[in-house]
Amino acid sequence: MFADDEINILVIVLDVNPIWWGQQAQREPQFTLSTCLDSLMVLANAHLVMSRTNKLAVIANLYQKSHFLYPSKQWKSGDEISTSSDGKYELLSVTNDLFAEEIRNLMDRTEVSGSHTDSLLAVSIAKALCCILNLWFMQIAGQDVKSRILVIKAAEDSTLQYMNFMNVIFAAQKKNILIDACVLDADSGLLQQACDITGGLYLKIPQKIALAQYLLWVFLPDAEQRSQLLLPPPVHVDYRAACFCHRNLIEIGYVCSVCLSIFCNFSPICTTCETAFKMPLPQMAKTKKKKVKTAN
Amino acid sequence: MASLSEEVLLVVKRVRQRKQDGTLYLMAERIAWGPEGKDRFTVSHLYADIRCQKISPDGKAKIQLQLILHTGESTTFHFSNGSTALKDRDATKELLQQLLPKFKKKANKELEEKNRMLQEDPVLFQLYKDLVVSQVISAEEFWANRLSLNTVEHSLSNNSKQEVGISAAFLADIRPQTDGCNGLRYNLTSDIIESIFRTYPTVKQKYAENVPHNLTEKEFWTRFFQSHYFHRDRISTGQQDIFSECAKQDEKGLNSMVTQGVKNPMVDLLSLEDKTLDEGYGTATVPTTSNSSNKSLRENSNSAIIKRFNHHSAMVLAAGLRKAEAPSDQASETSSTDGNSRDSDFFQLPLKKVKLQESIEYDDLQGDSGRKTIALNLKKSDRYSHGPIPLQSQHYTTSQDIINSISIIQHEMRNYKPRLTQVMSSNAASSAITALSPGGLLMQGGAQQTINQLVPTDVQIELKHLYTAAGELLRHFWSCFPVNTPFLEDKLMGHLEEMLQAAYSKFQVWQTRRMMRKT
Repeated sequence: MFADDEINILVIVLDVNPIWWGQQAQREPQFTLSTCLDSLMVLANAHLVMSRTNKLAVIANLYQKSHFLYPSKQWKSGDEISTSSDGKYELLSVTNDLFAEEIRNLMDRTEVSGSHTDSLLAVSIAKALCCILNLWFMQIAGQDVKSRILVIKAAEDSTLQYMNFMNVIFAAQKKNILIDACVLDADSGLLQQACDITGGLYLKIPQKIALAQYLLWVFLPDAEQRSQLLLPPPVHVDYRAACFCHRNLIEIGYVCSVCLSIFCNFSPICTTCETAFKMPLPQMAKTKKKKVKTAN
Repeated sequence: MASLSEEVLLVVKRVRQRKQDGTLYLMAERIAWGPEGKDRFTVSHLYADIRCQKISPDGKAKIQLQLILHTGESTTFHFSNGSTALKDRDATKELLQQLLPKFKKKANKELEEKNRMLQEDPVLFQLYKDLVVSQVISAEEFWANRLSLNTVEHSLSNNSKQEVGISAAFLADIRPQTDGCNGLRYNLTSDIIESIFRTYPTVKQKYAENVPHNLTEKEFWTRFFQSHYFHRDRISTGQQDIFSECAKQDEKGLNSMVTQGVKNPMVDLLSLEDKTLDEGYGTATVPTTSNSSNKSLRENSNSAIIKRFNHHSAMVLAAGLRKAEAPSDQASETSSTDGNSRDSDFFQLPLKKVKLQESIEYDDLQGDSGRKTIALNLKKSDRYSHGPIPLQSQHYTTSQDIINSISIIQHEMRNYKPRLTQVMSSNAASSAITALSPGGLLMQGGAQQTINQLVPTDVQIELKHLYTAAGELLRHFWSCFPVNTPFLEDKLMGHLEEMLQAAYSKFQVWQTRRMMRKT
């Protein structure tokens, strides 16, 4: 396998919801956004060092926008690049510097907002897909492009983004892009589904301070190498549907044959499309009569 | 010999079977063979059991007759009587040929049917072995549902079975072999004979007329191959050949085909002719003088060959189009050689129109035919966009909390400098590694393997068989409900229960066997 023949793209989608991180800083002072960013930087550097042709992108998603941390628009090539004092591979030092600068600017610009405090995950993944596609078009003939998206999730799921999220997942599946998920706090059903559908890995981390170790162990190898390694087994995904009336997850329910909406109880009129259904009558009366006759 | 209460039809001495000398007896209902000097028969087969007989080809040193039974077994008899061996064998063969058809019972056909079904479907075969052979279900119950289904299907499929066409190369397939001394040997199978008859009905006619009165089959075919009719450079020379009439008939047929033409308005055969571009490209057009004497011999034979090829192809196609009730068509054979002729002039105009329209219009480019549709009327369509995320009570953060959190983060980030050398402590790292190693906290689910990896294949196969057998028993059980007749009640109470018990005891045996094997 020649190094030049394969391009590995890793896009990291980081959840920098300031509300959650602020509360996290109060809960656990030893693991804050800075440590998380450091761990991510380690992973990013490791990925870039694995092969000369590996490519990286980092997207931060907030509740109002999602922003590319790297590659950033502000970087113009040819600018004076601070020669690193510790003899590091220049790509890495440039990357790290840009990364840090961008996140600082981003956090500075954050506005306080009471409403809409959910992170725009679907937006960020969509941007990641576009970035991958962009890089995919730049490939030379004969090169093999493999890409994956790593989602670091901190806050909870947002219910409003469900449709967009599912669309994005299926688009990723069509393009053979893996979606991995590293969950810090609460289990996310949507990400579990995403990982299951696209073939990625879902991991909920028990110890946040060891985040770097988990990232390097589990999420650094790409899809081919994963088949050779012994990694955490896939979780059991809950694919149950939620009924339209109470939003409970149900296993057996009633489905309207006209509009396909799901209910947990039978009702003669479907509330979504207002079709009327006949009640099924029990057939007990007839057999009783028969039995009486044969006895006589 | 044992007291023969049966009538003996034929006795053949000096017949060997399995390298033992003996005598062959053909009785009224069976054929039997006893070794020399012994009183009893070692081999005895009822005619009803015999499926067919085979003889060794002429010219072989050993003169043998083989009997194949319905069960697939075969017995071979070697006629070693020196001078009369061949006569004996032929006499036996003739007698058997007359006797066997009488004894073919209709039930054998069913047996064949059953055998065929069992052979075609390995799952069914296995089920049969498990249930009937080990006497859990009786054979007639097993076949009760299945045969009825199948005979109906079979008769239906028989009617609509497609007929096999004729290979255009059947004459070429005969492939004469040189016999050594200036003779040719043609191998005619019944398939080839049938093809010849179907394609050239005149030959069939001749066959029916002449065989077996005037000529034997062999002579007929010899004459056929010798006649100019068969050879390529056929020129009707008017010889007194039985086949010269066939040649004339063919000419007539060809002419009628040409005059009929093709009904498809899209196909214009008359515009096809040899055109030349230049010298060396294509053949130079010879000015067609109708003087046959001007034509060179070569051209004559060329056109004769081409004519024959065309006629042969047309006949093969026509034979394929002709239905099974061909005899009635013999009279109108020449007119029906061309499939188009079935349309009388009455149908010609609409047919032309249809063909023209077919070639002008494309179905899928037409606009929608304007089907009436009912629009879906959704009142609350936002329900669909809410995913399967249960509405949990969210933490309601007060606005003060929000402001606090954001200010904390902003403060922290302002002074952010990546410190990559102090990302985590070694303790944290090592505990993470332990959790990720096999057997650790995060790796628990991996120990589960699928059943088909844990269990060896022969156990799996046995399990599958048991499962299908159990399914079959359950089917019988449930088909007894509703209990209408006393027969079904009996079946349920007595018989089926026995069956289930038998199946269960089989399972027990298997289980104990497995236990013993394990320990």
